Amino acid sequence: MDIGFIFINAIVVACIYGLIAIAVSITWSSLGLLNLGYGFIFSFAGYGAYLMSRMLSDNTVVVLLAGVLTGALGGIIICLLVFIPLHDKPNYTLRGMVGTLAISLMGSQALLWWFGPKNKALPEIFGYWKISIGGTVLTSDKIGIVVCSIIMLIFVVRWMKSSRRGLEIRAMMMNPHAASIVGIGIRRTGFYVMAITGALAGLSSVLLSQTYYISPFSGITPLIKGVSIALCGGLGSVQGAVIAAIILGITEALTSRLLGGQYVLITQFLVIITILIIKPRGIAGILDKAREQ
Amino acid sequence: MSAGDIKKEHYTWKSPLAVWGAKGRNYEVPTIRVEDPRSIWDKNTSYKVPLNKVGRLKYIHKWANHGSRLWQRRRWWPTRRTLLLMRGQYNRKTLKAQKIIVDKRPIYWVIALLALAAAPLYLPSSLQNTLLTAGAIFGIFAAINVCWTLIIGTASIFSLASYAVVGVAAFCTSWLSINLGFPWWTLPIIGMAVGFIFGGIIALPAMRLDGFYYALLTLGLNELCRVYVVTSKEFGSASGGLYGASTYINSDWPPLTQSIVSYYGAFALLLASLFLFRFVDGKQLGRILKMAPEKREAFAEAIGVNYKKARVTVFLISSVALGFIGGFYTAQYRGVAYAIFSFDTILLGLAMLTIGGIGRAEGAVAGTLIVVFLNNVLISLGPIRHIMIGILMLLVVLFLNNGIFGMKKQFWAWRDKKKGEWRSSRTEKGGEALPEEATETDDKDFLYHRRFDMMQRDYLKTLVCDEVVEEHKNKPLGQHSEALERLLLYFRRVPQIDKYAIKRDGQSKIFKIVAFSGIRGTSPRLVEDKEYETMEDAYHGVFLRRIYDLLES
Repeated sequence: MDIGFIFINAIVVACIYGLIAIAVSITWSSLGLLNLGYGFIFSFAGYGAYLMSRMLSDNTVVVLLAGVLTGALGGIIICLLVFIPLHDKPNYTLRGMVGTLAISLMGSQALLWWFGPKNKALPEIFGYWKISIGGTVLTSDKIGIVVCSIIMLIFVVRWMKSSRRGLEIRAMMMNPHAASIVGIGIRRTGFYVMAITGALAGLSSVLLSQTYYISPFSGITPLIKGVSIALCGGLGSVQGAVIAAIILGITEALTSRLLGGQYVLITQFLVIITILIIKPRGIAGILDKAREQ
Repeated sequence: MSAGDIKKEHYTWKSPLAVWGAKGRNYEVPTIRVEDPRSIWDKNTSYKVPLNKVGRLKYIHKWANHGSRLWQRRRWWPTRRTLLLMRGQYNRKTLKAQKIIVDKRPIYWVIALLALAAAPLYLPSSLQNTLLTAGAIFGIFAAINVCWTLIIGTASIFSLASYAVVGVAAFCTSWLSINLGFPWWTLPIIGMAVGFIFGGIIALPAMRLDGFYYALLTLGLNELCRVYVVTSKEFGSASGGLYGASTYINSDWPPLTQSIVSYYGAFALLLASLFLFRFVDGKQLGRILKMAPEKREAFAEAIGVNYKKARVTVFLISSVALGFIGGFYTAQYRGVAYAIFSFDTILLGLAMLTIGGIGRAEGAVAGTLIVVFLNNVLISLGPIRHIMIGILMLLVVLFLNNGIFGMKKQFWAWRDKKKGEWRSSRTEKGGEALPEEATETDDKDFLYHRRFDMMQRDYLKTLVCDEVVEEHKNKPLGQHSEALERLLLYFRRVPQIDKYAIKRDGQSKIFKIVAFSGIRGTSPRLVEDKEYETMEDAYHGVFLRRIYDLLES
């Protein structure tokens, strides 16, 4: 196999899982909620995009928007059902995590019940062209995935850096208690955070569906990969998640090249565990920046 | 109630002694009518606030005392522990010796386990097979969850890899049994070794990572195991798992016998795991770890508790037990499916723990019972049964702090809160004691007196007026009108501490007001520098001071 090909695959995969990693990371650091419901949001957004492509049109923008919006809707559902009722209760972190898992269980089964176990495929929204750079062939979907996720990432980071809402979210990340004292509504910020992170998961769902099928349980693997990347990068840090995604992508590429495909997860986890043992809060997570809990 | 609020009815009081021509200047004195003091009492003691039923004391049954058999109690051989944790006490009213059972949980455990043991006898024959199969699954899953509770609850290591340990042990033993022909009785023992090794590997990051970071990592490890097993050639098979291992259930037996044997096998496994829980959580390791709950590790470390070692020890013990369960699983079902590593298995396991209450063996067992019933008995419902489990999980998480078995404590806390709210809503502030003080003071006479005294002072304040002061000024001693008489009786009855007295300065005709210290050997202190010419003036001075004190109080 060509090393360039593997390398590009790794970057594509890292882009998709990186989106979920950033979603997990932002939710954890701003709301203190360990949202394991992104698996459900992922499938939910996939089905939303699928329905939209079937019923309205399979235009690239429409399908992408449908996925992003259903993802945001999924995030808001989790916010309403778990974050709003639980955020001021004792033992919130554990109960919140179990609550999102319950939503994930219910949601996946509801999707299974509604759509049946048969896999659904999204249309190839990026077309079928390909270009060749230095002997490496880049297909349209790979370029589309990388470009879309980078645009989304830049949008989210700019929005977090420059808007009023983003300022509120960053204040919550630094110190939720102090943020609430100076008049930042915890519940309102929760809505924004869950909607934007849901949108990230939704986008990654549409992007991954260019390679894999949509099924009620298709979100589990991306969720676990995303969580691992977020953990490795340090929960709460966007830059850390990006670096971790790249490192893990390279690990994956090298492992498939040198050892073989079935050892990918093993080497990835060895890398993650090594990083975490050296630095328990991940690549970027310096202890004092991490959320207590 | 202040003196000015009440309209005073004025009249002229005639001294009954005037008829006999007693000495004095006040045969007829203008004064005020006195309200019947009983009406004040009735007004104050009448109950104006509705009583709510929440807030009553909880009922604890009192058993008769041991009597003469005090030192011949039954004990758990060979320890000195008595069968139940009892406390002897004397009834505070009747002084009768009695005892109460402090910890009733062993009784409930025995009843519940006897019910489980006898359950196969009472199953309806139409559902017998389904229920026995579900019962066997319940036994194994409950055993896993009890061990998992040891890890999450006792050791406070939030590991989600317990099913992974079971799965790894089950796959290893299945492979060994299929390919190398190990007999069934060796499988749990090999499983223990596998569990020890695998547990040791995943315990390494637990020493550095804390709480939810570790939980996320173990989630990944679980996925790693799943992917490895599904993709590897040794464990790969078309049947969705690895089957064909040696089993203790003889396939020549009739199907019912097989079901019953597997049910009791799983039940025995559950009993064994409960014993393990009891001996880890209730003994030295558990007690060390109860010293070091999450976020208070620094304190435990400071007083010399090596909580890290204890945590890892408990983790390893549980992993060995989980490995044993994995080997047993293989020996029971002839193999193991990939589903043991799936995300849904962790989800259902976590549902079992949270529904019952994390950190308690009874919670793990009861939660497993509920979830296994929904999942394995109501199979005909299809995906709805998982939605039901999800709804149950969500409801428990939203409304209960710590599952079903935390309900009692949560209810008590809620009731105490309501009790306090209602009690404070019906308390009138003043000379009365605060509710907390009132419940903690043993001498209720003291509280009663304070309450009575406050009422009396409020009442006497209404009697103070210019006429009364004028009357006292005219004649400090002798018979007075009723209002003044009541005031003076109250003043005379105050305790010795700080009671006013009149002091004559040597042979001179100067009187001064002093106050007693109330302590033997400590001389009275001078209250003011004012000097009085006559004894009567001094009496009136003392009276004015007391009136002043009364109105100030």
